[in-house]
Amino acid sequence: MTDDREKILAAIRRSLRGTDKFDAARNPASPLTSMPQGDFESQFGKFKAELESLGGLAEALNSDADASEFIAEHTGPASSIFIYNEIANLHRSLVESLSESRHVRFGLEFPVGYDKRDAAAFDAAVTGCAACVAETGTVVIRTDMRLPAALAPKLFVVVDSGQLLASLDEFFTDSFGNTDASNLFLITGPSRTADIEKQLVKGVHGPKEIVVLFINQ
Amino acid sequence: MTELKSRNFKRLYKKEIADQKLRENLRKATIQASGKRNDSFSEVDFVFLRDEAKKIKQESISHLNDLLSQFEDNAHENGCTVFYAESPEKANAYILDVARKHEIKKIVKSKSMVTEEIQLVPFLEKYGIETVETDLGEYIIQLAGETPSHITAPAIHKSRTEIARLLHEKIGIEQNDDPAFLTGEARRVLREKFLSAEMGISGANFLIAENGAVVVVENEGNARLSTSAVKVHVIVTGIEKVIPKFSDLRIFMRLLGRSATGQKLTSYVSLIRGPRKEKEKDGPEEVHIVLVDNGRSRLLGTDHQEVLHCIRCGACLNVCPVYRSIGGHAYGSVYPGPIGSLVTPLFFGPENAPDLPFASSLCGSCTEVCPVGIGIHHQLLSMRQEIKPGSKHGLESFVFRNFRKTMLRPGRYKLLTRLARVFSSTSIVRKILKGWTGYRDLPQLPSRSFREIYKSEGGKG
Repeated sequence: MTDDREKILAAIRRSLRGTDKFDAARNPASPLTSMPQGDFESQFGKFKAELESLGGLAEALNSDADASEFIAEHTGPASSIFIYNEIANLHRSLVESLSESRHVRFGLEFPVGYDKRDAAAFDAAVTGCAACVAETGTVVIRTDMRLPAALAPKLFVVVDSGQLLASLDEFFTDSFGNTDASNLFLITGPSRTADIEKQLVKGVHGPKEIVVLFINQ
Repeated sequence: MTELKSRNFKRLYKKEIADQKLRENLRKATIQASGKRNDSFSEVDFVFLRDEAKKIKQESISHLNDLLSQFEDNAHENGCTVFYAESPEKANAYILDVARKHEIKKIVKSKSMVTEEIQLVPFLEKYGIETVETDLGEYIIQLAGETPSHITAPAIHKSRTEIARLLHEKIGIEQNDDPAFLTGEARRVLREKFLSAEMGISGANFLIAENGAVVVVENEGNARLSTSAVKVHVIVTGIEKVIPKFSDLRIFMRLLGRSATGQKLTSYVSLIRGPRKEKEKDGPEEVHIVLVDNGRSRLLGTDHQEVLHCIRCGACLNVCPVYRSIGGHAYGSVYPGPIGSLVTPLFFGPENAPDLPFASSLCGSCTEVCPVGIGIHHQLLSMRQEIKPGSKHGLESFVFRNFRKTMLRPGRYKLLTRLARVFSSTSIVRKILKGWTGYRDLPQLPSRSFREIYKSEGGKG
């Protein structure tokens, strides 16, 4: 089917003929009236406060072993947990120790174009992230499998402390804009709705619980 | 296109305004929403953000041709197919074509105002393709066979009891009006739809020219699934959604969530750059971007061009005294409220919505909260002149003409205010003013004027 490209672009050109072109000089200042301080502790404090105000949870831990223990504590013994490849590669001891007490499956086991029902079978997913933003309590996910993290009721995000950004100003830059991945998801707290009488309900289609674990490397 | 109901605004609003329960639902919901909006701006400089956003939108619209071409080139490079549609018919036909090519029987759809504008869902359903709205509010409205009554809160006019009854009748769940229960049941039913559908449709909040990315903003996670758990993803949006730079999102992301729902950032922001890449194991194999004009290009270069800056946050609806009283359905358009009173006649032709620009008290609250600085009430005023140039508007004109004369002549003023004090509480006056007194009390005038009281107290008249 042929589209109306030429027609529409010609109509735009015609309508705008003779009008002034406007070029906005961007003001580089941040609109924030207060910014978290530069050190990790205060930025983490801000991140934690923001995420927890939305019903999420953030913890700073010392090791993979601590993270494994934390995840085990926050999932039932019969839980089935999906582990993303990057966690399996970068946090081996976390995965090994979690495998001893929980049923885990790895991204590596899934072929390209896997049956999406298989991704809906998990009680929790453990993923890494591309960045975290203290200003809003946001995690940025960029994965080779979109569904397990979107479908599981609980989402654990394992973060290296160096991935924490102070504000959205630092995230919306070329280094993130020019990513090669087909997708980049900013997740700020549990999935939510207020569509019924403006009453807030958490956990609509996405995870009901989101836990962000910072591991001090 | 079917004829717009907005032609019948005068009949529609009378029905809605008489519904006390609806007015109460609306009043509570909109006051809560605008209060949360105000609180959420405490940490950022609203004026700074609004002025920056306005500048970026002005730049985007004044370079629309170049930016669309740049976006298109980059989207192609990312592996997307871009289709321009001048009319709703053309857009709908293309989307049907895509669905047929893939033998699609079921579609999951996330919220999109443009798909409402082009009436995509009834069109696809006419051809036997089940198209399920997956935003909770939209799902409720779809089950009810209604249209959304608010840009960001489509079921704002419905009470929990009505929703519980509806879901009980339509999907057979237990009748329980707890919002958490109802949401949980909707999640269960819709999860199955996500797992069985092969095609997803979403809107777009922004198109980024410099990298071809599509930005979709939401809270529930349904847009994330509609764009991820499918083989084919179709994005339907207006040509005016393109902005130049990825870094411009630092402004818009801070404004949109706050203005819409009082959130510092919405729960999900999906940045989509095409179909799945070679090493990715899921995600759509095809991504189509349908850019709809439908009257937008006609607005360029006119005094109404700035209406194209709108980011569909719905903040102007929440503060509008008219919207708060009559709700969204009275406007008879998918775009209700102050911005809808502009967009509807501009997109669909003034003959289809001749009364909407008059559905405003011109108090300016809409302009004050607009995150991209659209002078909404000024626009409404100038549209009134265009739609009914030099209109004397019957009774209104008579009243103002005589008000002026009265205020200029003290004798006449005294006589008329005396008469008003005597007759204002009589039934004949109430009958004449029933359009006003049907829904509110007529203010009681005191039996004596200030001058009379002043004189009787010994002052000089």
